Amino acid sequence: MRPAPRRFAAFALCALPAAAGAHDLSAANAAFVQTLDGSAPGAFMYLGAKHMFTGIDHLLFLLGVIFFLYRGRDIVLYVTLFTAGHSLTLILGVWADWRVDAHLVDAVIGLSVVYKAFENMGGFRTVFGIDPDTRAAVLVFGLFHGLGLATRLQDYVGRDDGLLTNLLSFNVGVELGQLLALGLILIGLLEWRRHRAFAAQAFAANSILMCAGFVLAGNQLAGYVFA
Amino acid sequence: MKAPPGPRRILLASATALAVAAALLLTLILPAEYGWDPLGTGRALGLTGMAQDQATALHRHARRWREDSITLPLAPFESVEYKYRLDAGAVILYRWRVDGEVVYDMHAEPDGAAPGYAESFARSRGPADSGSYTAPFTGIHGWFWQNRGERPITVQLETRGFFDSAVELRDGRVFEYEFGTAAQP
Repeated sequence: MRPAPRRFAAFALCALPAAAGAHDLSAANAAFVQTLDGSAPGAFMYLGAKHMFTGIDHLLFLLGVIFFLYRGRDIVLYVTLFTAGHSLTLILGVWADWRVDAHLVDAVIGLSVVYKAFENMGGFRTVFGIDPDTRAAVLVFGLFHGLGLATRLQDYVGRDDGLLTNLLSFNVGVELGQLLALGLILIGLLEWRRHRAFAAQAFAANSILMCAGFVLAGNQLAGYVFA
Repeated sequence: MKAPPGPRRILLASATALAVAAALLLTLILPAEYGWDPLGTGRALGLTGMAQDQATALHRHARRWREDSITLPLAPFESVEYKYRLDAGAVILYRWRVDGEVVYDMHAEPDGAAPGYAESFARSRGPADSGSYTAPFTGIHGWFWQNRGERPITVQLETRGFFDSAVELRDGRVFEYEFGTAAQP
C-alpha cells in the first residue's frame, strides 16, 4: 500500500467513525438469532467474527497496539494480552449477566484508542515524564473491549441450555474475525513501514487515530445522553 | 532521522485531534445520528432527518381494523391453538391471561410451507403475555396453549389489529372465524 497523501488520509480516517453505529449486529441478524432455540454454534461464531471484523473501534485499537511492534513475538504477546482481557469479560459478563451501559463501555473503548495513540506519540514519557506499563494497558483495555462485546451478545443470546455453547462460539468467532482483521492491518502496516516516509507520517497517523478515538467516544457519550 | 516530537508538539497535536473530533461531532455526527443540531449545520446540510427512522416509524394498512375477544377453556392436559390470518407486515396488538398457568408457543406458519412447518417466536410458560406482533410473512400467526395442571382453566385473549379471519384448532378439529364487515361501522 502506497501511503496516501496526508490530507486524504486524515479525511478518510476521520470519516470512518461516522459509521460507528454500523457495527451493531444488524436488525435482521438479531431477529434471526432471537428465533433460535438452544445452541447454534455456527450462527453465533459468524456473528462474533462479523462483529469484530466490522467493529471499527476494536480495529483502530488493534492498529494502535501493533503500530510500533516490529518483532513477531511482541505482536503475539500483545495480541494475546488483548485476547485474554476481552475474552475474560465477554464470558464473565454474559455468563453472570452483568448489566452495564453499552454506551458508557463503548465510550471507554473509544478512549482506549485515544490512550494508545497518545502512548504511540510518546506523550506519557515526553509530556508527563512517566512510563506506564504498555502490557498492563492493553490487558486492562482488553477487559473493556470484552465488556463491550458482552453487551452486544446479551441482547441476542437466550438464557437457555444453549447459552454456554453460543457464548463460546461467539468468542471463537471474535478471535477468528480479529485474526483476519489483524492479518490485513499487518500487511498494510508492513508495506507502509518499508517506505521512508513512515517515520515522518507515524506521528500524524497517531494524531488522526487519536481524533478518531475522540469521535468514537463522543458519539457514544452522546448516545448515552440522547438515546 | 528527525528528533522525536517534543511535549509542545504532542500537546498541540492532541488538542487539535480533540478539536477536530469535537467539530465533526457537533457539525455532522450528532445532527445525523441523534438529531441534536446545536449549530444548525445538520439542517443546512440536510442531515437532521437521518436520526428518525421514518421508514419504520409509520406503516399504513389497507385492511380493516378488527377487534377480537375470545375465551378458550382448557381441561387438564388439554391444548388449543388460536391463530390469525395475517398478511406480511400486518400488525396486531394482543393481550392474554389465564386463571392459572399455561405452556405456550407463539408461532406462525407461512402460506405454502410444508405441512407442520412453523416458525416459533416465543416458547415459555406463564400466566399472561401481551405485546405487538408484526407478521414477517403471509400466513397464519398465533398461539398454542397447553394446560399442564390438574384443574380446568380458561385463556382470555384480546386482539386488535389488521386481520379478517382466525382459526381455532382443538382435538384435531378446525373452527374458522370470519370477522365480517357487519361488525364494523
